[in-house]
Amino acid sequence: MELLKHTSLLLWKDFLLELRRRDSLLTMFFFGTLLLFVFHFSFDLPPDRVAEMAPALLWLAFLFTGTLGLTQLFQVERENHTLEALLLSPLDRGALFLAKSCFNLLLMSLVELVVMPLFWILFNLQGWNLLPQLFLVTLLGTIGFCVLGTMMSAITLRARARELLLPLVLFPLMIPVILATIRCMENIMSAGDLGAAGSWLRLLLGFDVIFVTVGILIFDQVIES
Amino acid sequence: MRLLVERLSKAYTFLWALRDFSVELESGDLVALLGPNGAGKTTLLKLLVGLIAPTSGAIRFEGTSRIAPRSQPRTGLLMPADHLYDNLTVRENLSFFLSLYGHRCDLQMIDCALEDVALLERGAEYVGNLSSGMRCRVSLAKWKLLQPDVLLLDEPYGVLDGSGIDLLEKFLRHQAENGGIVIMASHHVSRALKLCRRALILKQGRLTFNEVKRQPWPSFDRAFGEFLPQGEKWSS
Repeated sequence: MELLKHTSLLLWKDFLLELRRRDSLLTMFFFGTLLLFVFHFSFDLPPDRVAEMAPALLWLAFLFTGTLGLTQLFQVERENHTLEALLLSPLDRGALFLAKSCFNLLLMSLVELVVMPLFWILFNLQGWNLLPQLFLVTLLGTIGFCVLGTMMSAITLRARARELLLPLVLFPLMIPVILATIRCMENIMSAGDLGAAGSWLRLLLGFDVIFVTVGILIFDQVIES
Repeated sequence: MRLLVERLSKAYTFLWALRDFSVELESGDLVALLGPNGAGKTTLLKLLVGLIAPTSGAIRFEGTSRIAPRSQPRTGLLMPADHLYDNLTVRENLSFFLSLYGHRCDLQMIDCALEDVALLERGAEYVGNLSSGMRCRVSLAKWKLLQPDVLLLDEPYGVLDGSGIDLLEKFLRHQAENGGIVIMASHHVSRALKLCRRALILKQGRLTFNEVKRQPWPSFDRAFGEFLPQGEKWSS
């Protein structure tokens, strides 16, 4: 109960700060759409070839956009040393982990909600009816990305070149999540049904559950070390 | 309530920031922590609140280890212009920290604390728009509301004006009179000595002086004399 109370309090605080600063969300939006335009002008492919590449291209855009968000995730706690103020309090450290993960998930999901339909429009793709299922799979992948990203962001918090270090540490660890998400999306797009992605979907769910549980359990050590 | 610090040491790689620091403080103690730059004052404060882990030694409150998760008694660290969110208003900052510490978020109480630090009219302003002196007053209001058992302060005089100093000293006296322990690191020796009942002097990470205040205080004059600028004399 205390965990949820603290999580919602921190989430509300981050949401309020983002609403007033608007730096993370706007940057992520611009960067995400910019990448789509770069892809659009770089690949001169027929729609059926693009459909094959769509999951990988989309996740390339999400990865870079999400990493941009992750580098800003603890920025607000670095200014005025407010992280110290949080660590001084009786706050459950798991709540800090959950709040930061949920906040990044919220930002990334908003960006994805714009970027995915835009991708379909730019590349003139068919199968708009598959978008809800693709969103669902993307959401599961994004949960894995945000949870692991929050952990790595906290680990590299005190590093000198953290913006450079974060992707170097994060991307290799993200390979299973990215692979499972892309395979899921490919199966859905080729078979036109969520059921076709069964085993990859279970794997993705498994990753999410493991990462969230481990994150809550060990974040205390990570943030205080 | 007793605060026992036993042979506390902290090393940053090969450099000892604090070495074998031991002290025993009781309820009502108002302590001035003095020493030149780099003596280990801020390191000691951060160790006492648990923000950094000691290399060796122990900190105990009434015999219980501070290693227990955020155990009572609660410690507070007042950093004059820090530990507040710039893009939240003064009231939002206070209400956030009250909720975080599990206190009832009562707006009347917040306004009362703001009135005490003469900031009632600035309650709806973003903290980022306030001067460092005013931010220090907000921090003061924060700890007034949270009422920690042990309050540590790092250089609070630097940013405060005359009335701010009066408010701060009144609050610290009140904390000590109500059974709290206050430890204040400062370079404003005359002000700190006037307020405090005990002085600790750190030099290169070691405690070189620990006495209860008395008048006159020749031992303090001798111990502190070496930190004065060239040509200046000191007399307590």
